[in-house]
Amino acid sequence: MAEDKARYVITGGSAAGMAAAQAITEQDLNGIITVLSEEPDMPYFRPLIPYMVTGKKSAGDMQMSGNGPYKGSGIDIHVNSRVDSVNVSERTVSINGQGNISYDKLLLATGSRPYLPPEIKGADANGVFALRTLADAKAMAERVSVTDHAVMIGGGLLNLKAAFALLERGVKVTLVVYSPEVLSQLMEPDDALLIRNALDRAGLKIKTGCSATGILSDKSGVTGVSLDDGSEMPCQMICIGKGVRPNVDFLSGSEIIIDQGIVVNRYTACNTPGTYAAGDVAVTFDPVTGERIMTGLWTNAVEMGRCAGYNMTGRKTAYSGTFGIMNATQIADEPFVSMGIVHTKNTDYEVHVRNTGSTYRKVVFSPDNDRLLGVLFIGDITGAGMYRYVIRENMPINEIKSLIINQRLHYGHFIRN
Amino acid sequence: MSQPKEIFVVMSRCTACKTCEIACAVEHSGSKNLYGAISEKPIPKSRVYVEWVAPDGKVPIVCRHCEDAPCMHACISGAISRDDEGVVITDSDKCIGCWTCVMVCPYGVIGRHLEEHKAYRCDRCPDREIPACVSSCPTEALVYQTVDAFSSDARKDVAGEMLAGEGD
Repeated sequence: MAEDKARYVITGGSAAGMAAAQAITEQDLNGIITVLSEEPDMPYFRPLIPYMVTGKKSAGDMQMSGNGPYKGSGIDIHVNSRVDSVNVSERTVSINGQGNISYDKLLLATGSRPYLPPEIKGADANGVFALRTLADAKAMAERVSVTDHAVMIGGGLLNLKAAFALLERGVKVTLVVYSPEVLSQLMEPDDALLIRNALDRAGLKIKTGCSATGILSDKSGVTGVSLDDGSEMPCQMICIGKGVRPNVDFLSGSEIIIDQGIVVNRYTACNTPGTYAAGDVAVTFDPVTGERIMTGLWTNAVEMGRCAGYNMTGRKTAYSGTFGIMNATQIADEPFVSMGIVHTKNTDYEVHVRNTGSTYRKVVFSPDNDRLLGVLFIGDITGAGMYRYVIRENMPINEIKSLIINQRLHYGHFIRN
Repeated sequence: MSQPKEIFVVMSRCTACKTCEIACAVEHSGSKNLYGAISEKPIPKSRVYVEWVAPDGKVPIVCRHCEDAPCMHACISGAISRDDEGVVITDSDKCIGCWTCVMVCPYGVIGRHLEEHKAYRCDRCPDREIPACVSSCPTEALVYQTVDAFSSDARKDVAGEMLAGEGD
């Protein structure tokens, strides 16, 4: 009977939303699952969008449905459908200011949007991007034909990936970083030498300790950028990568508790009945520091989204939180993994650093030297997942400490000890 | 539906001869024979790892094809999926070499193919009835069985040992 079927509504069609939808299809074979995405494109793997700029992948290559664990069947996906308010007592959401739809269980997975610093004047000019959506990437790819020089504002991973995509297209790229070094969220300046060398080899120009104050433009779009050291750089494209902010504005006036992001309990549930949140928009916690955090990582969003999906079907599943710092990737020819606590300046953590010239390894133990808190591996990331496991499970490390310091840990040590 | 088979490790039988590593690399080579494989460039890679734990433990480690595979869900490019047999597969064409799977695998069994800039892992030898590592193992330390059959054998072994002990 129709009334027996649970109605699941998911706002947001990216990592958390789609992972939740997939998890629900596995648990509740009769549920009616509706995913509402404000984007014009069907759900896609967002981390792949730099390949739209290089031209190495098409939009079709990035589709979620039918790839990885995403079967795509049994999920009703609506694009161009922006949820603009939630009525928690009526259990309805309003879409595009038009009709309402009802839900039994609602997932808020609206993600985040790029933060555009208000002090950068003129950011509405043509050719200014904050690479977030597939639509952004398509527009950026089109702008390449009239771009000789691009300036990236912000030295995080997203801007580095965008920078490499542009370099591949033959564009000259300058990275303007306010911090003393790139990737300052994932490593300290002293740790970043190998990465910096790789960036230099790749031909990326970097200006550190410097920020943008204004964007110059005419009818052709961007013509340059002015910096706080008084200089100006001519350019035809600007990409702003200054972090993200959670998309919670549509919840103002609802009873759902917001503290920057949406506040949830260990079971990914909000304070109102039948309401859950996951992904970039949700406030979660770091099992190492115990701090409440929000992260903008695809992998975290999927894990939390799956957890929320299970909880929505009634399969109670605790979310174990995630490290505030966790990322793996390859920058030019240097692979690296950074996770847990890796910023150690002026702290009393026990820190072990080994630098071989081609690899760099930093291992951080608690001050009582009893627990592993974080690792940074550059050049050689062998077995990184086991170190993540040791940190996350808060394992006593006495017997395996020297193995951790020397990056010699393997799974056998867990089963033979 | 018949239960799929898995690769089990009987650690007490492993002598760390590393025959499985050679057999795995050969199976994943272009020529599929040892003499061809050792001259191939890039050199074919093994997906099984025989490790050592002091003082004399030998531990072959191979992908568990986890039921709730962290690598598959963590993958940011949709390159990892599970086939009908329950085998977790990495599609090299879709892999972008971001190493997120390496960051989340708690067993440390996902390798990085540096020349090709791709992640690689056990594929349970799709062209073979029995995976190469298992058929090559001279001491039967690697066993290809269903969960039920393997645990049934393990119970019989323990029961046999207990009975033998009572007879002393």
